[in-house]
Amino acid sequence: MKKRVLFLLVSTLLILALLVTGCSPQQSEPADAPEEGEAAAEVINIGWIGSLTGDQAVWGNCEKNTVEMMFEEINENGGILGKQIRVIPYDTRGDAMEAVNAVRRLTSQDKVAAVIGPNASGQAIAISSVLEDMEVPGIATVATNPKVTVDDNGDVKPFNFRVCFIDPYQGAVAAGYAVDVLGFSKAAILYDVADDYSQGLTEFFEKTFVGKGGEIVAKEGFKFGDVDFRPQLSKIKEADPEVLFMPYFFKEVALSANQARELGIDAVLMGGDGWPSEVLLEMAEEAVEGSYFVNHLDFADPEVQDFKDAYTAKYNLPVELNGYLAYDAVKLLESAIIQAGSFDPVEIRDALKTANVKGITGQININPDTHNPEGKDAAIIKIIDGDYVFQQKYSAD
Amino acid sequence: MDWYYIQGILILSGINLLAVLGLSLLTGFTGLFSFGHAGFMAVGAYTTAMMTVKLNMPFTLALLVGGLAAATVSLIIGKLTLNLKGDYFCIATLGFGEAIRLILDNVQYFGGARGWPGIPRETGLMNVVVWNVIAVIILVNLIKSRHGRNMQAIREEEMASQIIGINVFKYKMISLAISAAYAGVAGGMLAHYTGFLQPRMFQLIKSTELTIIVIFGGLGSISGSIIGAIVLTSLPEILRTFHQWRLVVYGASVIFIMITRPQGLMGGYEISITNIKKLISHISSLGREKTTVGGDNK
Amino acid sequence: MSAFLQQIINGLSIGSVYALMAVGYSLVYSIMNFSNFAHGGVIMIGAYIGFFLMTAFELPFIAAFGLAAIGAGLLAVTLERIAYRPLRKRNAPFLYFIISAMGASIFLENIVIATIGPTFRTYPRVFSTTPFQLGAISLGRLDAVMFIISGLSLLLLIYIIEKTKTGMAIKATAYSIRASTLMGVNTDRIIFIVFGLGGVLAGVAGVLFGMKYTVYPQIGFITMKSFIAAVFGGLGSLPGAVIGSILLGVIETLTAGYFSSQYRDLIAFVLLIAVLIWRPSGLMGKITEDKA
Repeated sequence: MKKRVLFLLVSTLLILALLVTGCSPQQSEPADAPEEGEAAAEVINIGWIGSLTGDQAVWGNCEKNTVEMMFEEINENGGILGKQIRVIPYDTRGDAMEAVNAVRRLTSQDKVAAVIGPNASGQAIAISSVLEDMEVPGIATVATNPKVTVDDNGDVKPFNFRVCFIDPYQGAVAAGYAVDVLGFSKAAILYDVADDYSQGLTEFFEKTFVGKGGEIVAKEGFKFGDVDFRPQLSKIKEADPEVLFMPYFFKEVALSANQARELGIDAVLMGGDGWPSEVLLEMAEEAVEGSYFVNHLDFADPEVQDFKDAYTAKYNLPVELNGYLAYDAVKLLESAIIQAGSFDPVEIRDALKTANVKGITGQININPDTHNPEGKDAAIIKIIDGDYVFQQKYSAD
Repeated sequence: MDWYYIQGILILSGINLLAVLGLSLLTGFTGLFSFGHAGFMAVGAYTTAMMTVKLNMPFTLALLVGGLAAATVSLIIGKLTLNLKGDYFCIATLGFGEAIRLILDNVQYFGGARGWPGIPRETGLMNVVVWNVIAVIILVNLIKSRHGRNMQAIREEEMASQIIGINVFKYKMISLAISAAYAGVAGGMLAHYTGFLQPRMFQLIKSTELTIIVIFGGLGSISGSIIGAIVLTSLPEILRTFHQWRLVVYGASVIFIMITRPQGLMGGYEISITNIKKLISHISSLGREKTTVGGDNK
Repeated sequence: MSAFLQQIINGLSIGSVYALMAVGYSLVYSIMNFSNFAHGGVIMIGAYIGFFLMTAFELPFIAAFGLAAIGAGLLAVTLERIAYRPLRKRNAPFLYFIISAMGASIFLENIVIATIGPTFRTYPRVFSTTPFQLGAISLGRLDAVMFIISGLSLLLLIYIIEKTKTGMAIKATAYSIRASTLMGVNTDRIIFIVFGLGGVLAGVAGVLFGMKYTVYPQIGFITMKSFIAAVFGGLGSLPGAVIGSILLGVIETLTAGYFSSQYRDLIAFVLLIAVLIWRPSGLMGKITEDKA
């Protein structure tokens, strides 16, 4: 009996303590934040959501770091419209339900001017209702499903924006380049059946490749979390493709590329923007030699280098792709706020609709009818001597 | 805290509670352990969404169909696996949950892994509360009935129950079907809350969370499940500012609860008027160790 | 024909990976009668220990390998002390053990994310990447090494259980904890040893996986398959765990190779159910009697 009372006491205390800390103002003040009081009104909240835990944590962490780093820099240079910015980041565990609640908290309790993120289409689609209820704009970083900004009837969603390509575009670029430039006619696809990005790219690669007269000789799936791809690859080897399309993320790319070479597959490997990473080269330098992938930017670009160096110096971590897109999301938001001349979410939204800004991944011109960045050319990168070498800008027709 | 945000937490707690109530019947009152309830939620979610989106059925009716679909699937699974013991049943349900997800990932009619957007948003605080009240009333009456007592007998002593003539298999089936129906309705509500469905919303971790809530609240206690669902759904929200540390705290608290109070918060006790009266008289006879209410599980 | 042989080789090699995990897990099951879902977490920590010893401390592979195995063993023993022993003293039903194990697994994964970070980490290369070639059939060097180490660890384990006095006590305890206590076996010590052995195996698996698949906080999720393999073979039976794993590996591979890679896991699941209907305690499982 005594134990039970003690337990109840401890848990009540624990919950109370959490409630108190949970309700108190944010801990993550900007470095030179003004003191509470008269100056507190000068701080504007900007929300970020994404995965800090769960299987997408690598990408989420990089985004959060980038967003925080950039606003610190902006604050040091006097802020936006003379006001300091505070970033409020929330974890979603990669779960759509959590994302909905995180955005509810950001928009109602934290009264953010805008939301940056999330880094996956599922969450980005789920939060659009909340953004519309509360009339706060959201800029998705890496959410490539067309439905993120456009509803089922083809009407644009009023508060959702993004800075990345959409799936159809990337798949079409890869297939177009493979047929028209590299001259391949027999392709095999290995894809992750449990991943929306991978399914999206596969669908549009297949469509374009076949449309251009090519043939898909094998299409094999694996399930997220798999680490051995030899059964599928052995089957692909039998089909003898000229090019093997691998639309998934670098860890699986490295594993499957190594295993493909072990099995004696000598087809050219090709992929999307899930590829670029230092881990890919560390793990599979020989296997991915001579491969091509579709990317947003040229890594040798000096502007990209500056950002990479600053990031690595600050966090001692490599920049993942999401970092570049988070960088552009911040740039886009900053320019929209300046153009709107106000921190009113609806006015920011209006400015976002026609925003154009030179981002790190290229010129971003938001199309008011789709809320997608228009005319962003894809960069084709080839891996030569363990380095990412820019080939050419390429756009699907 | 802002009402709009609190409302969000309450709706989510309510959806979880609906699934937890079902699982409470299965785990807490019948003694079966399932890792596949996210699978039943998925069946319910996709069926309900199909009813409202493709067939324009009213939401309430669609939810019932979703629950029914989940129950039907559970009967097939139950027929095959309910004779299995302990961990074997557990792993079989785990496999089932993963298999459902794999099918949904591949079926392009429902959008596959890319998900299904554009589901009408019908779930609000009102209907969540109404459904939960109905669910609790049904459950309480069931547990108090002869059937409910038979289920509890199976939980305590399966062999003995069999000997005194309880049809163990039948009662396990009923328990599984009802709990799957609850999970199915919860899934349907979830689909019409987020307006979007994706197979990855129903991962194994979802099943685990539901089971953790049931155990946290206390096996064999409906009030425990209710408190558990609200506390454990709000806890991660409250911990939100801790970023990646919040799941560390969550994991540690699960172990802490198990080793300090494995019977859970309520541990077979219920909050009811008679019990509150008894508690008051218990407190008035202060300091004396005696337990009169309910009973411990073990 | 060579394609078929290649697939069989693939299947055997995948199966041996499952076996290494399934045995450690089945060993604990044989004594404690519950599924230790924290096993994957211990494997993950083992992989990280090996990685940091080799990179930050620049230890040679063999030393790092041994220390990682010991480290994982210690972790498993500590987990038993904190998360399971209090339950055991109270004779709690197996449900509570499973939940405690799940809590431990959530805790381990997320403490790594919060402290070390979620980044993928690549082991320094120890074995060459050129595969062994036998005609048209190839087998990676690391796969061959894994196959051999899996086999050796299993043989060592079987030796310990069959030929030593401790092994005898483990077998007795697995048969009945209560009876062996009455016969003077110190069951606390036996459980300590069993968790230690299971942990060491997890450490071995962890380092091998880390080398093959890189190290990241969710690497323990690979164990899901080995749980299913252990059930296939019969929980609590070591030969069952090995046979179940090899079978699962080969069946999965052949399904992916000749039927459908998209639905591979579904077919594996249907087979699992079929086996369990035919033999409710798996292929070689010990018959669990009802426990009051």
